Formats: sequence, structure tokens, C-alpha cells
Amino acid sequence: MKRQKAIKPLVIVWTVIIVIFLLFPFFVMISTMLKSGNEVYSSPPYWIPKKIAFSNFIKIWTQHPFAIYFRNSFIIAAGTTILTTILCVPAAYAVSRFRFFGRKLLLYMYLVVQMFSPIIVVIALFKIIARLHLLDTYLGLILVNTVFTLSFVTWMLSGYFKTIPVDIEEAALIDGCTRIQTIIRIMIPIAAPGLVTTIIYSFIASWNEFMFALTLVQSVAKTPLTLGLYNFVGRYRTQWEFLTASAFLAIIPIIVLFLLIEKQLVAGIVGGAVKG
Amino acid sequence: MTDGMQRAPQRKGFFWTTESKLAYLFLLPATVYLLVFMIYPIINVIIMSLFQTNRLGKMIDFTGFKNYRDLFKQQVFWEVILRSIYWTALAVVVKTGFGMMLALLLNVKYKGRKVARTLIIIPWASSIPVSAMLWTWVYHHEFGLLNYSLKAAGILKTPPVWLGMPYSAFFSVIWVDIWIGIPFMTLVFLAGMQSISQDLYEAAVVDGANAFQKFFHITLPGIRDVLLIATLLSILWTFNDFNVIYIMTKGGPVGSTQILITYIYEHTFEWMKWNYGAVMAVITFIILSIIAWIYARFYFKREE
Repeated sequence: MKRQKAIKPLVIVWTVIIVIFLLFPFFVMISTMLKSGNEVYSSPPYWIPKKIAFSNFIKIWTQHPFAIYFRNSFIIAAGTTILTTILCVPAAYAVSRFRFFGRKLLLYMYLVVQMFSPIIVVIALFKIIARLHLLDTYLGLILVNTVFTLSFVTWMLSGYFKTIPVDIEEAALIDGCTRIQTIIRIMIPIAAPGLVTTIIYSFIASWNEFMFALTLVQSVAKTPLTLGLYNFVGRYRTQWEFLTASAFLAIIPIIVLFLLIEKQLVAGIVGGAVKG
Repeated sequence: MTDGMQRAPQRKGFFWTTESKLAYLFLLPATVYLLVFMIYPIINVIIMSLFQTNRLGKMIDFTGFKNYRDLFKQQVFWEVILRSIYWTALAVVVKTGFGMMLALLLNVKYKGRKVARTLIIIPWASSIPVSAMLWTWVYHHEFGLLNYSLKAAGILKTPPVWLGMPYSAFFSVIWVDIWIGIPFMTLVFLAGMQSISQDLYEAAVVDGANAFQKFFHITLPGIRDVLLIATLLSILWTFNDFNVIYIMTKGGPVGSTQILITYIYEHTFEWMKWNYGAVMAVITFIILSIIAWIYARFYFKREE
């Protein structure tokens, strides 16, 4: 115990150093988003803005199409979340509550499929989406984003349903509830924390999605935030003060949401291994 | 999944056996969806890899394994394969080492530890494409604050043009991938360490064990399963990292950051050589399936 105490200050110092080291790009972001264009491109650069330029946060809405990007990201992420939830709740319920032929195989498929890279399917998905005339539409992006949230969410959600004692449902069934009623009135309310986790997960995953947007979107009117910011970087002289200001607004809500579900997410990914 | 949760008693009775029709009905929408948007595209890409394609990706002539033979003859292809392997190996090793070190630091109890833990998650919680763009700006050779800070601190007199030269670009980009992966490793290792009984450590102290002996004989065996599963996942994610490379360098300069995943994208959507893109997608599919299968086997073994 004495030795524990002796090393404690050392541990704290090292942790602080590492935290500062890891957050370095975010310090750069905050410094840049508060500078004016001229200050951003001054050589040598400096950390503290001479004159704090909050106007960047107004200009990104008025002079650039960031408002459109935000709206598009929101529509796509919300759409993906709704579609994922509708598909996954019954599937997760079935996997956790019923015994049927092919259950094990299906579980394997869901787990393996969530590990795949979008690159494997993007080639064929591009052709499918083109054939459905859904290139450059919200629906097209929602459909492909859902492919990669679907299996993980089903997997997570079935874990939550499994933890609810069967007795509760049996009692309701004996009292004359139908199966659908027990799901809506009993299972979903009890599994609500789990459902919230998976909803947040789907939202974050599609908010951050980049490759499908890069492949399937052509017009500014349908461009989500990640792609919009990327197109902004490609120019001759990137206006980093606007880019960092938008980046700040784009990641703050995502980070907060992520921190809410981080524990459940890790537990879901690692499975039984953490229980020890 | 979380601490307090118990598995439901899996009783056999009327509840499990009679209603498989309903089960299939419930599973139908999600499964059909996966078949249409995941399984069919995979089959499609396998077929496409055996055809000659035009610029729009239309299959024209069946050519058998000619695409495969053509690609295997290219030296660049093998360079990309090799780079994908050491990209993955290097990044995973550093993520594991760094994550382990951080987890050990965070496993010591003190005030403010929770704050430190939260701050460390941020690189993982942030949007990957946005982080990659931020790093591009951090690395900027003239106006970037990284070079400025390195010079001001006297660490490097003439810092490299990070993303402009092949060697430095590779290490700059792989660092961003590592940086994103560290929090996950840390959290998982920390969770593993915290599930080890304190009694073991106290007994070891009584026996006169030093810090290294405690680590190698108690901590490491205690988190063995966690370590294995986290490493497997990390291999998959690192191998699949498209966003960081594409956004920061698009595989350049002179192909120095090109890995299989970005090479597929470039072949298909920039050079319009769909058939070669398909061949490499099939190869990626095989590699990922093997790793994912190992993960799944392991996951189920632990669950049961």
C-alpha cells in the first residue's frame, strides 16, 4: 500500500502528459476556429488568437452551405436509425426468445457480417442503387447505411432481451395478452435502456459515415457533413477557420452521445470476455 | 452484457418449441434485407471478378480467372498486399502497447481518474473523417501548429513535410489510425484489469513479488481473453481503415500509403477498372471472413 502511494504522483503526471498529447488535434481545432482567415495563414503560426473571431460560427451558416450539410446528415442519420430499429426489434426478439432451426447459423451470420468492410459490397451496391434510381438521394444512403448498422444492433438488442426473465412474459401471455402486445407493453419498456443505446449507436454510425456518401452522392443538396467538409479541404486554399468551426459543431453532440453509451458498446463488442 | 445482467433461464417448455413460425416471421424483414444488400452484393462481386467489365461496371465477357492472373502479375499489387500487412501489424502492435500502458496508468486509484478516462475516449468518440481532416491541418508543414510546437519546444529544428514525402506520409497516416484505436484498447484492457481479484495482488505482495512479476503472472493471464478478442477486432478495423488514408493522402504520395482497401476504391471508382476492384474485394472478403470467423468462434465459446 505504501508503494502504491509513492507511485501515485508519477502516475498522475504521466496520465496528464498523455491526455494532453492525445487531445493535441482538438487544441489545434479550438485555436483555429477562433482565428480570422489572415491569422490562420500567418507564418509562423501561433496558438492564442490575437482577436477572437466568433464570426466564423456565423459565416459558416450564412456564406457556406454548412446548414444544408447539417440538415442532410441529420435526415440520413435519423432515417437510418428508424429503419434499423424497425428491422432489428423483431429480429432481436426472435433470436433471443425462440428456438428454431437455423438459429445458431443466423447468429454466426450476424456476428461475421458486422465485421465486413463496406468496401467489399460498395462495388455492387453502387450498381444496385443506380438501378433503383436512388443515386444522389437520401433514401439511397439510408438503405446502404442500414446494412452496416443492422447486424450490430440486432446483436446488441438480442443481448438485452435475453436478460429479461421469461416468467414476466409468460405471465402476460397467460393473462391473455398476444405475443405482439407483450413485446410492445412489456419487452420494449423493460429493454428501453438497451434500445436507447442501439438508437444512439445507429445515429452516430451514420452521422460519421463517409465512403458511401463519397460514392453515391453528387449534388450539394444531398451532401452530408463528412463529405461536405471533405470537399472543402480539396480546394486550393482551404479556409481552415470555417472547417474547424464546423468540425467543432459536428463532433460535440456526437462525442456527448458516444460517452453516454461507451460502456454498453464496449461490453457488447467484447461479449463474455470482460465478465472474467 | 453490463455487470448486473444475468442470462435468462433457458427453459424448455411450450415457450421455446411451438412458435417457430412466428420466429421466422419476425426474422424475415432483417434477413431479407441482409440477403439483398449484403449477401447478394458479395455474390455479385465474386461473379464480377470472373468477367471483363466496361467503364460503367457492366459485365461483358466471361474470362474465368484471367483478372486474377493479370493482377497477380503486377508488382504493385504485391507491394500493396505487403503494405496492408505491415500497416495492420505495426498499427495493432502500437495500439496494443499504448493501450496497455494507459490502462495500467488508469488502473491506479486517484481523484480525477474518471475525468482522465473520459478525456482519453474522445479520439474514438469523435467522427473519424473529421479527425482525419483535423490531422491534415495539424500536419501542415508551414501553418500547422505541430511543426510550430516542435520547433518552439526545440524537439525538431527542421520538421519534415509530414504528408508530402513517402516515408513520413506513411508514418503520419498510420499514427492517426493508431490514435483513433488507442481508446478502445485502453477501455477494454482496463475493464479486464478491474475484473481481476485484488486478493491475488495482495497475496503476491506477501510473497514478495515485484511490479513486473505481478504484471506477468497476474495481470497478463487475467486479461488474456480480453487481449485476444480486442487484438482480433483491432486487426479487422485497422485492415479496413479507408477513411483515414483516403482523406489524408488518397494513398499517395507515390502510393506510399496505399493499402488493399483504398486500392480497391481507386481501381473501381477512379480508374473504372471494376473487374480488378472486384478481384481485390473477393480477396479482402476471404481475409476478413477468416478473421471474423475466429472472432465469432471465440465469442460464442465465452458466451456459453
